[in-house]
Amino acid sequence: MKKINILLAAICVVLTMSCEGFLDVKPSNSAAAETSITTAADAKVIMNGIMSKMTSSSYYGRNFIMYGDAKGGDFALRSQGRGLDALYTFNHSPSSNSYSGYWSQIYHCLAQVNNLLVNIQKIEDAGNSTSALLVYKGQALTLRALMYFDLVRLYGKPYNMDKTALGVPLALEPLDASSQPSRATVEQVYTQIVKDLTDGAPLLNKTKTNGYINYYANRAILARAYLYMENWGGALAAAEEIINSKVYTLYTNANWVSSWTAQYNTESIFELAMLQGESDLEEGSLSFYLRRLGHGSTSAMGWFMASDYWIQRMSQDPDDIRWGIMDYDESYKDTGVYRFGSCYKYSGSTTFVGDGKGSSTAVNIKVIRLSEIYLIAAEAALNSNSKDKAVNYLNAIRKRSPNLAPATATNITSDMILDERSKELFAEGHRFFDMMRLNKTITFNDDFIYPMVVITHREKTIDRTFYKTILPISIDEMNANEGVRSQQNPGY
Amino acid sequence: MKKSLFFALAVLITTAAFAQSRVTGKVTSSEDGSPLPFVTILIQGERGLGTNTDIDGNFILERCPSDAILVLSYVGFTTIQVPVEGRNVINVTMNPDALALEEVMVVAYGTARKGTYTGAASVVKSEAIKDVPTLSFENALNGKVAGMQITTNSGQAGSVSSIRVRGIGSMNASNEPLYVVDGVPVSSGSTGQMSGYIYSTNNVMSTLNPQDIESITVLKDAAASALYGSRAANGVILVTTKTGRLGRPVVNFKASVGITPSFATVNFDIASPEQQVELYYENFWNAGKYDGKTDEASSKSALSQLNKRFNKHGYYFTADDNTVNSLKILGMTDGKENREGKYYNWDDVLFRTAIYQTYDLSVSGASDRTSYYSSLSYTKEQGRSTVNDFSRIAGRVNVNQKVGKIIEFSTNVNISKNVQHGFNDTRSTGGNYFMQSRNLLWPLYWPTDYKTGDPWTARYGSYAYNQVYYNNEWENESNVLRLSANETLTVKFMPELVLKSVLSFDNTETKDHIYYSANHFNASSVKGQVHEMSTNVQKIVSSTTLNYDKEFADKHIVNVLVGWEAEDNQTNYQRSSGTNLPTSALHTVATAGVLDASAYYWGSTMLSFLSRAEYSYDGRYYLSGSFRRDGSSRLGSNTRWGNFWSVAGSWRINNEAFMKDITMISNLRLRGSYGVNGTLPSSNYGWRALTSYGNKYMEDPGGGVANIADANLSWETSYTWNAALEFGLFNNRLNGTIEYFNRDSKDLLQSVPISTVTGFGSTLKNIGEINNHGLEIELSGDIIRTSDLRWSAGLTGSWIRSTVTKLYGGKDIYWYDPTGDDARAKFVYREGESTLALYGLEWAGVEDETGKNVWFLNNDSEADLTVDGRPATYNYSNASEVILGDAHPDFFGGFATDLSWKGLSIALNFVYKIGGYTYNAVGRDVNDDGYYWERIMSQYCYDNRWTPENKTAKYPQRVAIDMEDVNQKSSRHMNPADYLRLKNVTVSYTLPRTWTSKISIQNARIYFNGSNLWTLAAHKEYDPEVNEYGSRGWEIPLGKTFTFGLEFSF
Repeated sequence: MKKINILLAAICVVLTMSCEGFLDVKPSNSAAAETSITTAADAKVIMNGIMSKMTSSSYYGRNFIMYGDAKGGDFALRSQGRGLDALYTFNHSPSSNSYSGYWSQIYHCLAQVNNLLVNIQKIEDAGNSTSALLVYKGQALTLRALMYFDLVRLYGKPYNMDKTALGVPLALEPLDASSQPSRATVEQVYTQIVKDLTDGAPLLNKTKTNGYINYYANRAILARAYLYMENWGGALAAAEEIINSKVYTLYTNANWVSSWTAQYNTESIFELAMLQGESDLEEGSLSFYLRRLGHGSTSAMGWFMASDYWIQRMSQDPDDIRWGIMDYDESYKDTGVYRFGSCYKYSGSTTFVGDGKGSSTAVNIKVIRLSEIYLIAAEAALNSNSKDKAVNYLNAIRKRSPNLAPATATNITSDMILDERSKELFAEGHRFFDMMRLNKTITFNDDFIYPMVVITHREKTIDRTFYKTILPISIDEMNANEGVRSQQNPGY
Repeated sequence: MKKSLFFALAVLITTAAFAQSRVTGKVTSSEDGSPLPFVTILIQGERGLGTNTDIDGNFILERCPSDAILVLSYVGFTTIQVPVEGRNVINVTMNPDALALEEVMVVAYGTARKGTYTGAASVVKSEAIKDVPTLSFENALNGKVAGMQITTNSGQAGSVSSIRVRGIGSMNASNEPLYVVDGVPVSSGSTGQMSGYIYSTNNVMSTLNPQDIESITVLKDAAASALYGSRAANGVILVTTKTGRLGRPVVNFKASVGITPSFATVNFDIASPEQQVELYYENFWNAGKYDGKTDEASSKSALSQLNKRFNKHGYYFTADDNTVNSLKILGMTDGKENREGKYYNWDDVLFRTAIYQTYDLSVSGASDRTSYYSSLSYTKEQGRSTVNDFSRIAGRVNVNQKVGKIIEFSTNVNISKNVQHGFNDTRSTGGNYFMQSRNLLWPLYWPTDYKTGDPWTARYGSYAYNQVYYNNEWENESNVLRLSANETLTVKFMPELVLKSVLSFDNTETKDHIYYSANHFNASSVKGQVHEMSTNVQKIVSSTTLNYDKEFADKHIVNVLVGWEAEDNQTNYQRSSGTNLPTSALHTVATAGVLDASAYYWGSTMLSFLSRAEYSYDGRYYLSGSFRRDGSSRLGSNTRWGNFWSVAGSWRINNEAFMKDITMISNLRLRGSYGVNGTLPSSNYGWRALTSYGNKYMEDPGGGVANIADANLSWETSYTWNAALEFGLFNNRLNGTIEYFNRDSKDLLQSVPISTVTGFGSTLKNIGEINNHGLEIELSGDIIRTSDLRWSAGLTGSWIRSTVTKLYGGKDIYWYDPTGDDARAKFVYREGESTLALYGLEWAGVEDETGKNVWFLNNDSEADLTVDGRPATYNYSNASEVILGDAHPDFFGGFATDLSWKGLSIALNFVYKIGGYTYNAVGRDVNDDGYYWERIMSQYCYDNRWTPENKTAKYPQRVAIDMEDVNQKSSRHMNPADYLRLKNVTVSYTLPRTWTSKISIQNARIYFNGSNLWTLAAHKEYDPEVNEYGSRGWEIPLGKTFTFGLEFSF
């Protein structure tokens, strides 16, 4: 009976114990969302999260970079079925190969940015703002501009083609689950981009900042945006502000090739860190996507290599220092001729030294570097009729082809600058967007696929009137969002 | 013995008029000849006269009238009457009565008699599963319980089965039943984290040795299961382990060895090497012709493809007349080896005749105060793939001890250690043997280089690897140590008032180890990699119930139960990983150059109050009701508590006076129930808006908003009614149950797609509704029942309709079979349609003239042609997806027949499925139109493809012109699901006791079991026993197993 009494007592204790306390079980690796940003230190953690999410394979980690080159005619395929083929073949539809990962990942990043901004505003409203906190606000605004710039280039027509066409939905604060926003026009999106960059700039530091946005990254994005908007004066001013600040310096011919073996080099205005154990994509990395088939690993599939057209362009100067980052591709097995079509920018070197982190795949993504700013300055200056300036800025890069005569005020053309962009910024995600904004015709090196595969989803040459030059809104988004259901891109 | 003395005295006092004499005898079981102790023996019509058998089954009746009739009764055996007829020695054999209405079965929080229980429950006894060579008992239940479907994802050793009781009641939360072992809810499913790295599962239920199981009860309706409240909507499986029987200690030893030399059916068998080469050539030759080239140019291009791929493996190819007719496979002569005419058989090195062995030793016994059962077993099962095996050592102790007059303690302790070496089952990795051998590893590839004889380490082609080499460059192991202990205290305050308190501790420690050497393709970029993971799942359950059971005035029986239960679940996870390993000799994190780690925990708690009341009148009318209130940490404070209840009644018609004269009907009963139970969200924290911290950046912590949460997330609730007619005819020689149920599951958790502009693709809401209804039949009977010969047969059959009735905003939800993370079959949830509605393009077959694929448009686009009067197109992207068919069968179940004659018995167990479709998820790989031209095609594809000679072919022409996979999700890969399979056949022989008793063996038995020996399938390309989603992918198929065993008891 004594035992029973003890037992009954135990039952009573448990019964009178706070049930709600027993039933309140919290996770150990997450925190309540409402209270997780209250200080500048918290804001830094969220900013780290945003940077990390930007390195996703769906965004800067791989696919966004690949998009700009696979679609731009500077890349070719040797075989089918290795991955991301559909970018090259333009095999897109809302339901298959919609590449909705761009849309969903960038909007996911935007949700983080908007959440951070709202919480910083809360801290400001409570009178607890600090300059350290405001730096994150400046970074967040700048990143929001970059993300919308990327989205509108993927889903909207070029600004100079039809700015009244549909861009992407503008979400500027955290949305609830029932939100179904419609697409804004291309012009509205660009207006917001410029506004965010303008609002963010004064809050940012002007020192070189590794792995994060600083003032000059903000200006560089603005220069890009103005270039697309054909605001030549604005683009030139922004680019020159960076150049004249001397915070960054161009690589010399002697150190251009080795620049890929180091992080945060002298040209790096905005560079995303890819570390082992963080966002390193290993066998799925850009390094693997661009290597020669089987090079250094049986998992290297040899996805993409340079097209004949790019090789011809580079072959204008066999001593162009930029050959140093290229190695021969797999086609020698069939032809017996070494063709230097494989790019090793994302392996550090053709011998896989990486960029100083002991891994050949954890290599940072140089989102914006000074060479591009020079070429933006050159193009903007040319279009502003400042030919001398244009020549200076172009030749600063063009000298990397030592055997080519420098450009002069009499012979400089827009195409020379475009060609230089192709050589300098190869595999950095620009070519396609350049061809679109400049209304050029893209010719694909389809005959390079050995022995022969018929590409059925586009012609060998396309221009920006081809409807697949912008991506479809995915069927999933159309189904879930009443707001965009009638706003599919024409043709899909 | 005191009792017998008392009886003896009573006999002395009542001096009888008839001749009386001393009668002795022995009572044994007809089942195995073992003596039955404590059998009650009464003399008919004589109150107070009678005795019990002793521990050896012997009895003595001192003064027994010579014309008396003895009535022998014993739990679990049919009561029999034996006329004395003047004999002095009477030996009696009693028959076990598995279907006795008085049989006691385990139900929620107690026991019930089968004939009076008001809920829907089926019982499977240990005899039905004991000879099946299975690691985990669920696999042996297939076809044995109406309304229950058991599917196995994979034939690999140690993989998890999936059980669906009465259809699918949830879209987002679990559809698995609750497992209760010896009265306590336990952890089930896959523990461990291996699935994050390779596709492999471990099944924690396999820590329970099937030989320790006494019986399994499946609770199906609300009346049976509502006492388990919020976890019961998918049914409850109650497992009861063995206890000692009264009598002398019994030592039981059982050993069996099984071999699995082959798969149970054809499985995507590949075309011959010559045919493969022909297909390859044809693919490119056709592409050349398509492009307008000459025969010569086309042949040249095709040959160059072949030569490019296979020269390095020692073959070259010619086609003198530039067509396939002259295609020759020749050997290269510039190496160590000329391989002309020889091909490598990868099946021989990747698969083996797998061996299964198991040894069980148990000791059990009981006195009137103590009973015990203890066992130790060892099982080792090899998978057919050479890297897959599983071993288990399990021990159990069940002790029951009476202390004083009213207190009883029971302890159940189970310890089990499982070691599993896994195998990849998913389509998307380079390590899946089955996929490699059926789709990637050409017989023209060899493990060695023909030139040098060195091992071949480069990738062969599209994801094909030399497994002979790579087998030694990686390993994976999952180690499960499970310890569970239940302590039960029973206090009988009065015979009618009993308190029972159970405290259970269930602890599963799973250690996963994965290693890749620096040479392995998965870790070459990080110079070798090793992961060690530890997952500790701990469940503590405490429940206390008070039960009052009383009979009034001979006619009224009242039973009331009240109780409470608390449950605490916590999982602790730790991972340490290393890359950049110094040497391939050391496979440990300690040696690694780069370290990485993670550790965290998660869990949930639940608090419940429960009650049940039952009333019966005169053995004819039965009423019961139950109520449970659950509070769970998985829900927010507004919705945390839920109420679950049931009411049920039954009417025993055959006990009515008007039935007295209908002797043919020995049992007739109607019963019905209605009740409400629930399902919890799978996620522990789904209702909370969270910031998660999984995004490190530059070695700094990084985080972000993880979800858009609904703080009012609530229970899924099921409303079930059930009606059944039970009958027994001809003295219960034919028994049956026909049962109808209807389950409406509401407030279903649904991952509602939202605009991704919000930053997230979906949010969890209580929104959907599903209806399941169906008819279940269970029939069993003895066709012949004599003392020597017994022939019985049983049948189960289920017809279940599972329909989505309501969705968020009425909008369709598209989803994919998640098995193997491979999105292999596409489904739609659509109002009014099946819960497994296959979705995709509707294939219209092949145009006879051109060999082109044709698709039904199913939209208003302009048609290229019409097929069967319907608009169709050559371009699949112009066609619209539609519902293609239902992956649920129309009817499924099993039937069994047992024939026994003296010691010899033969039992056959069949399972069957009628109606519905299976989806061939690997059809896109092995039966492709030219896109995957680097891969092997199946014989089925070879035989049925279009060629100019075979214009009425089922499948199109193979031609390498399209850079896309045109037939991923279409009706082309949908096939009829009907099959009949001889799941098990068991032949056993019990040696006559007259022989065995001489060497003091009480019972000796030898047996043979054959599993999956015979299959009849409507579609013969692959094993028709598919997974719960009706799809067949690259998981390893089931094998044919032949098992030989012997069993002794002393």
